[in-house]
Amino acid sequence: MGKSPDDQRLELLQGTLDMLVLRTLKWGPQHGHGIGQAIRQHSDELLRVETGSLYPALHRLEKRGWLKSRWATSEANQRAKYYELTATGKAQLAREHDRWSQLVTAIGRIMNPAPREE
Amino acid sequence: MRPDERELDEELRGHLALSIKERIDRGEDPKAARRAALAELGYLPAVRDSMQRVWYSRWFDAVAALALDMRVGMRSLWRARGLSAAVVVTLALGIGANAAIFSVVRGVLLRPLVNRDEDRLVYMRQSAPGIGADNMTFSVPEIEDLKARVTTLSAFGDFSTIDFTLIGMGEPRVVKAGLVSGSFFDVMGLQPVLGRLLTPADDGPSAAGAAVLTYRFWSAALGGDPAVVGRTIRLGSRTATVIGVLEPSVPYPADTEIIANIVTSPHHLDALMVTGRTHRMTELFGRLAPRASLDEARAELTAAHAAIVREHPEAYATSEGVRLDVKRLRDQIATPARAILLVLLVTAGIVFIVACSNIANLILARSVRREGELAVRAALGASRGALRRTLLAESLVLCGAGAALGVVLARPLVAVVGRFASRFSVRALDVTVDGSLLWVGTGLALAAAVLLAYVPKLPVSYGPAASGLAHGGVRITPGTNRRLKAFAMAQIACSFVLLSAAGALLATLVALQARDTGIDVRRVLAIDVPVPIEAFGPKSIAFYEEGMRRIRTLPGVEHVSAGNVVPWRDIGTFGPFSFAAEGHVLSEGEEPPHALLRIVSPGYFATLGVPLVAGRDFTDDDRGGREAVAIVSHSVAARLFPDGNALNRRVWWTDPIFGQAPRRIVGVAGDVNDQQVAPGRPTFTIYHPFRQIPAAGRIFVRTAGDPYVLVPTITRIIREIAADQPVERAATLEDVRADVLAPDRVNAFVVAGFASVALLVAVVGVAGVLAFSVSARTREFGVRLAMGSTPRELLVGVLREGAAIVLPGLAAGAAAGYVLTSTAATFLGTVQLPGLLPLLGAAAVLVGAAVLASLMPAARASRVDVLQALRTE
Repeated sequence: MGKSPDDQRLELLQGTLDMLVLRTLKWGPQHGHGIGQAIRQHSDELLRVETGSLYPALHRLEKRGWLKSRWATSEANQRAKYYELTATGKAQLAREHDRWSQLVTAIGRIMNPAPREE
Repeated sequence: MRPDERELDEELRGHLALSIKERIDRGEDPKAARRAALAELGYLPAVRDSMQRVWYSRWFDAVAALALDMRVGMRSLWRARGLSAAVVVTLALGIGANAAIFSVVRGVLLRPLVNRDEDRLVYMRQSAPGIGADNMTFSVPEIEDLKARVTTLSAFGDFSTIDFTLIGMGEPRVVKAGLVSGSFFDVMGLQPVLGRLLTPADDGPSAAGAAVLTYRFWSAALGGDPAVVGRTIRLGSRTATVIGVLEPSVPYPADTEIIANIVTSPHHLDALMVTGRTHRMTELFGRLAPRASLDEARAELTAAHAAIVREHPEAYATSEGVRLDVKRLRDQIATPARAILLVLLVTAGIVFIVACSNIANLILARSVRREGELAVRAALGASRGALRRTLLAESLVLCGAGAALGVVLARPLVAVVGRFASRFSVRALDVTVDGSLLWVGTGLALAAAVLLAYVPKLPVSYGPAASGLAHGGVRITPGTNRRLKAFAMAQIACSFVLLSAAGALLATLVALQARDTGIDVRRVLAIDVPVPIEAFGPKSIAFYEEGMRRIRTLPGVEHVSAGNVVPWRDIGTFGPFSFAAEGHVLSEGEEPPHALLRIVSPGYFATLGVPLVAGRDFTDDDRGGREAVAIVSHSVAARLFPDGNALNRRVWWTDPIFGQAPRRIVGVAGDVNDQQVAPGRPTFTIYHPFRQIPAAGRIFVRTAGDPYVLVPTITRIIREIAADQPVERAATLEDVRADVLAPDRVNAFVVAGFASVALLVAVVGVAGVLAFSVSARTREFGVRLAMGSTPRELLVGVLREGAAIVLPGLAAGAAAGYVLTSTAATFLGTVQLPGLLPLLGAAAVLVGAAVLASLMPAARASRVDVLQALRTE
């Protein structure tokens, strides 16, 4: 993994990329580059996805049937492969979102324990 | 679905374009934007590869890892080319031989016959162990009796073999023909490929002559000509119409060219054939009745046969011990080949064991040398599984190559083994390489590969055994050394078994070849010039005498004579028949003597180099109308006329066929062994002058030079006298005898071949183990020399080490061989243990070879340079 010049940048937690990709596609069909940009912008430039991870992840999700793809011409007049959520993909996103919320709560409880009653 | 490489590229290029455009839009310099985008993308092929990998299964990863290991393995094997080649070739020999022999075994023993419901077909055989007749065949009255008494067989098929002079299809010649009744083809469940087969409508003395061609004859000799159906041919004195062609099927009991109905043979219609209970010439088949089992049929048939024997005491002498055996037809056909094929299978298996243990040794030695490499890999974190996989990949490469080469080798081997086995079973002729061969090859290779991968010990990642890391040198652990020696011993043991077997076969062959036959076989030509039985008479005598007179005038001809039997080739014809001798009284329970009937012209004994011990040869005056005379063999004179004077006494045949007329003995000829009968059995022979029984048919010519040169001239001379006369099978007696011994020779040759391969492999194995042990102990030898050992002592030490491998190997081999023969005996009946001489010979060969093999490493040990040895490490 190359070092980023940007010290602000955060490493993605393992296993969260798939969820982020699925969430991004909830706004509508998008190509790989657009997905990467969206993740960056929506995270206020804190998260940046490596191309070498993003594209295999897209193919992995497509193989599992959570995404489908088609070729189309982009707004910049460039042929690109557009990815789109499938019905099972939506269900999967909901599941992962739930799990993520639970995880955040659980970790939050450990990191910021509520003051105990003595 | 799965995107191809082009699509992946396009997707990534699209990404790159968008990425650059976005940067330019943000105001970056186009060049810098492009550089940054490329840097961000990373190494393109790697990205593409990881995208592609997503689409493959978990198995793909495992296989890919193994494939990588195999590529690495191939490279490392290429560095050890010599060793790899040795392993591949050894394996190929082992696998090829096994696959080929398995193909033949499968084709001959296991494949079903083409006949309809072939497992319902039974074969009956009447034999008389008391007089050594293992196939007496049946007479017509016997067949009728059996038919009338048996219900477990729904139908009987009969088949007798006869020679016909065939005219109307190419050159006039004598063909072997089968004569069958109309039920035969239906019982056997065979179909025509052309025309029709014989049916009950073709039975009886008034039917028209009809003949069916066998497929082999039709396709090979007639080129598969469909116009042959309907053609009229002459069979001896009768004519017959070709009515059809039989489908390809196993020719049993005889490989004939045509199968005709009974009416074509006058002999089959006469009273002797129809009513003579002892006039046996027919083979008998049957089809099991519905719901009848083979065992039931066997029980019923043997009971019926026993009853027939009881009812006709005049036809079955108690001493003959006549009995009936019933077998499934398929088993009967396979029987003669079964023993030899199983022996071959075991032999090939032993060779495979030798090959594998030798390969195991090579691999083991190699793995000791690379212990360092394995230790490094283990230290770097390679799991035991990964190391094993590396070894497995290498052995897979080796064994795969060996198997591929082996299967290629197997193709010609199948042809060779098939031709060899066809001497024992006609089915072997059409054995072809089939798919099973590939499976056998692959199976053996996989078995060998897995076995070999588990031969070397993996380095232990802790403790002192990791010393491989510290030293570049080779150290043999006692365990490894024990394994090496055990494998070498196994090779010696197996080779010993094979060598003894080969030795025993060679001894048998030498004994057979050296046996005195009483005939001087050099430069004697035997030619078949047959005349049909019904044409025997004064005319045929005149024909032969005119022919002989003309041949005698040819340059280089020393003797010409006629006879009825070519030694060895015409085995089983003209006797033995029972006879009586004047003054010889049978003691109580003694069976009457049996003798071979030979009909010869004057000069026969001179032509064949058989000495006349007493009396005179036949002359032209010994002819019909004169006193009946005979010449007997020395054994007859010595055994039946013990007072030493057989001359002028009388002998007569007691078999009714020959009229029982007494004949005066005018001469005594030397004993001749032209039958290959069991040694020790006297070959009683009674000779008749052919002017009194004009049934000759063979002409013998002794020449001064090469006899074969005369064959065309002799053929021309005979044809000048009789244009339609067959003149066939000209061969010297030397070649005829060689042909008779051919199966023994081929047996010995094949087993000796296997044995020498095993010996070679074993010797290389022993030498390899010792060389390895010596090279690993260079330092030890150096120290010992430095301490005052003499080179001689070291040499003897290494030789002793060799002996320590060979002698236990021999003992193990002897034990294994003993067990093997006793096991074989339960399967094959009688199996003889090899005599002492072949055993000692085999042992001597092995010990000698092993000593030679250990000499080289031993010499190297004794020449170790002390200083260098001590400095080596």
